[in-house]
Amino acid sequence: MRARWTVLLLPVLLGCGVLGGPRPAWEEPAPPPREGTIVPAERLHRSLLDNGVQVLVLEDHRLPRVSMGLVVPRGSASLPLADAGLAAFTGELLNRGAGERDALAFAQAVDSLGGSVTAAGDWDSTGVYASGLSRDFEELSELLADVVLRPRFEPEELERLRAQQLASFERAKDDPRTLASWNLGEALFPGHPFGLPRTGTPQTVARFDDEDVRRAHAALFVPAGAIFYATGDVGVEAVRARAEALFGGWRGEDPEAESSTLPGPPRSRQVVIVDRPELGQATVLVGGAGISRAAPDRVAVSLMNVVLGGGGFSSRIMSRVREDEGLAYYAYSGFAKRRQGGYFMAATGTRVPEAGRAIDMLLDEIDRATREPLTAEEIAHARSLAVGRFSLGLETSDAIVDGLVDLDVYALPPDSLDTYRTRVARLSDDEVRQAAIDHLDSERVAIVVVGPAEQLEPQLERFGPVRVVEP
Amino acid sequence: MRFAALVVGVLLLAPAAPAQDSLSDLEDPAARTRVTVLDNGLTVLTLEDSSTPTASFQVWVKAGSRDETRFTGIAHLFEHMMFKGTRNLGPEDYTRYVEARGGRLNAFTSRDVTVYFEDVPGEALPLVIDLEAERFANLVVDEPLLESEREVVLEERRMRTEDNPQGRAFEALLALSFTAHPYRWPVIGWRSDVEAVDVAACREFFAHYYGPNNLVVVVAGDFDTEETLARIRRSFGKLEPSQSTPRNPTREPEQRGERRGTVHFDVRAPIVATAWHAPPTGHPDGPALDVLSVILSSGRSSRLYRRLVNDEQAALSASGGYWELLDSGIFYGMVGVRPDATVDRAEELFFEEIERTRQEPVSEAELDKAKRGIEVDLVSRLRTNHQLASRVGRDWVSFGRVRPLEERISSIRAVSVEDVRRVARQYLKPEGRSVIRVVPPAPEPAAEEDA
Repeated sequence: MRARWTVLLLPVLLGCGVLGGPRPAWEEPAPPPREGTIVPAERLHRSLLDNGVQVLVLEDHRLPRVSMGLVVPRGSASLPLADAGLAAFTGELLNRGAGERDALAFAQAVDSLGGSVTAAGDWDSTGVYASGLSRDFEELSELLADVVLRPRFEPEELERLRAQQLASFERAKDDPRTLASWNLGEALFPGHPFGLPRTGTPQTVARFDDEDVRRAHAALFVPAGAIFYATGDVGVEAVRARAEALFGGWRGEDPEAESSTLPGPPRSRQVVIVDRPELGQATVLVGGAGISRAAPDRVAVSLMNVVLGGGGFSSRIMSRVREDEGLAYYAYSGFAKRRQGGYFMAATGTRVPEAGRAIDMLLDEIDRATREPLTAEEIAHARSLAVGRFSLGLETSDAIVDGLVDLDVYALPPDSLDTYRTRVARLSDDEVRQAAIDHLDSERVAIVVVGPAEQLEPQLERFGPVRVVEP
Repeated sequence: MRFAALVVGVLLLAPAAPAQDSLSDLEDPAARTRVTVLDNGLTVLTLEDSSTPTASFQVWVKAGSRDETRFTGIAHLFEHMMFKGTRNLGPEDYTRYVEARGGRLNAFTSRDVTVYFEDVPGEALPLVIDLEAERFANLVVDEPLLESEREVVLEERRMRTEDNPQGRAFEALLALSFTAHPYRWPVIGWRSDVEAVDVAACREFFAHYYGPNNLVVVVAGDFDTEETLARIRRSFGKLEPSQSTPRNPTREPEQRGERRGTVHFDVRAPIVATAWHAPPTGHPDGPALDVLSVILSSGRSSRLYRRLVNDEQAALSASGGYWELLDSGIFYGMVGVRPDATVDRAEELFFEEIERTRQEPVSEAELDKAKRGIEVDLVSRLRTNHQLASRVGRDWVSFGRVRPLEERISSIRAVSVEDVRRVARQYLKPEGRSVIRVVPPAPEPAAEEDA
């Protein structure tokens, strides 16, 4: 299937010496991964405030620092289509003045601690995060609580942000990958909030006012489902007391979540070209139906995707597009998983004259995963990669807490980090193969390419109806 | 870099320092670094720490783009070739073996060094050592492999530089600021050179720079030092030293007057990029330049953010910072001009802020804030084995020793308001700067109508 050393003609041997003695480690069977719990039970403490706010503390006294956050399981997807961009806009405005401090005073207070206090959001969650030295825990948590509970939303800051955001939309057009992902969203989710950028559009941002941001803040930040966490050189009792003092009196109604129906994938292939005449590399995205974050077969899907395009050089897409053909620097696939659903995407970037050929390969690999079952060897490799990558990704306490909060946001079992390896081991090969059959369809996709339309259009017409758009 | 950000510049804060007494008790894990030199000249730095069951293995090659002679970009292209197979391993097998254990691996090439690293679960360390030694011992470079990888690198160049406004700006800036020194060419190389690199040149590059006497191996994390050293001796110990490691002798002559250049590119948000010459890494003025960088650029209360982004709304982003390299340094500025502002205005404001640091002392509050920021950053960088190994490796290739945390702390603490002004005056002179603008081409003159 791929070039091995047997095809190396006229090799030039560099260096010297052959490894002598015992066999090299790559010829030995892999030692079993170390067992042991991921989440150290003796250092992890959970409790609840009366208003429903969960408090999570993971002690780690190795370094004199602390990370903390107040996260709510509501984000951009919790607001209706007409409010596209409002959650992100409100989130950014939270960073510009809270409590007794205006934007400048707040920034000075944070920067003088050498720390950070930042509001940030995603489709399904919004949070205010802080980090710094543990001896500044009191001050950092105070600033954090100001942002959550007492934002100023000053009109002057709102106007400033609006102007900046409108300018940012223009600048984003300088980035081919942003253009590609905006257009893919639009092609896959017409009429749904997922179809517009999370930051909204110039039209929606132009009309946000003070009332809108206050309404969004009230809808996103309510105690029900909220989690306050801290990890680092802090004591559990101190954090609990602090949580009670800062958030114990917090009230708010859990709003009815609005959700519009998620459109299905395109009925047949469609092509969008975003015309950027000057580019030498075509940025290619192929997108289709996906799964939600809590889908029962999500682990099978993720192992399948490791084989297809999520496993770096081990994956079929990377091997073919980069290694065998030298067409691209990057080539991968993945599933974006959100609460309500998600999408599948394969991506690469190649010189403009080869765009059609690269798309052929992506489509063929998507199709082949359903046509030629994944081999036992490929699946074994995917299991091993997934388990090792998982453990390595949890090297720091910050990462463990991020993982736990994510489980909470999606109402997944809280012991999921500890059971992950077992769940990977217990999946049958056929379940992984089935995931390809169930979730990949090379016909029902949108293909988005950013580059010079004049050269791209003739190459792409054979894939389906082509629409050329301006950036 | 093979599959992430090419290191082109924004390494502004090298491991930096605490400035508070409560942090003085902090144990510096790097202080336990053990140094072993093998008979073939290979330096091995081991830092055993079992607090997490992972390890970072890094090979620092003391060769970067500054060591290139005939073909620019060969150091980086060669880095890619290191993954293409050996006498005993097929192309990318190396990567697959490490990925199969869930390891993260990558490499990057900078102007000064090339670094290969693997972050793995501890039990995979023996695998990584054997694989790494195998490619230094038995690498295969041939025409078909080079051809295919050349195309990959050209795609990388398109993505990072040719189609990327910031990439364009940075490439043009260094070529303008350095007229003679090898830092003037891009790490990824000029296109025509990348297209022309041949197998013989790769072979020569390897012979000069990839011998054990030009390498530093760093291991940090959960392992047994004796066992690991024994394994490294067995595998790396057999490598033959390089006979010579030639270095380019060129030094950059003093810049006498401002230089300017323009890059036309299809951008909606123009860029103004500036560079001044600054001292090399390890220079006594380094800490003051680091503090100045933070005052200008770090956080929403920083001077450039307040003035250009917030108050005057002339830019979407603005930063300036000290970038230290082995032979010399750069103090750079990068302004992302707002599409609804003028380039002239954004540039004027940027230089006003620079000039202000030269004319007026910064406030004590700003000074303290900057020191604190550097201190917290330092503590944050002690968290992972990868961070520790990187700090140890960088220090060793730069200074031949690991700088204790305490040393960094005291050097940052010693910076005064007057030091900041002095380095700004000394290094950020208008006549010593080079300025690149990335702007859309002027519209074609309208076709001539009948007069």
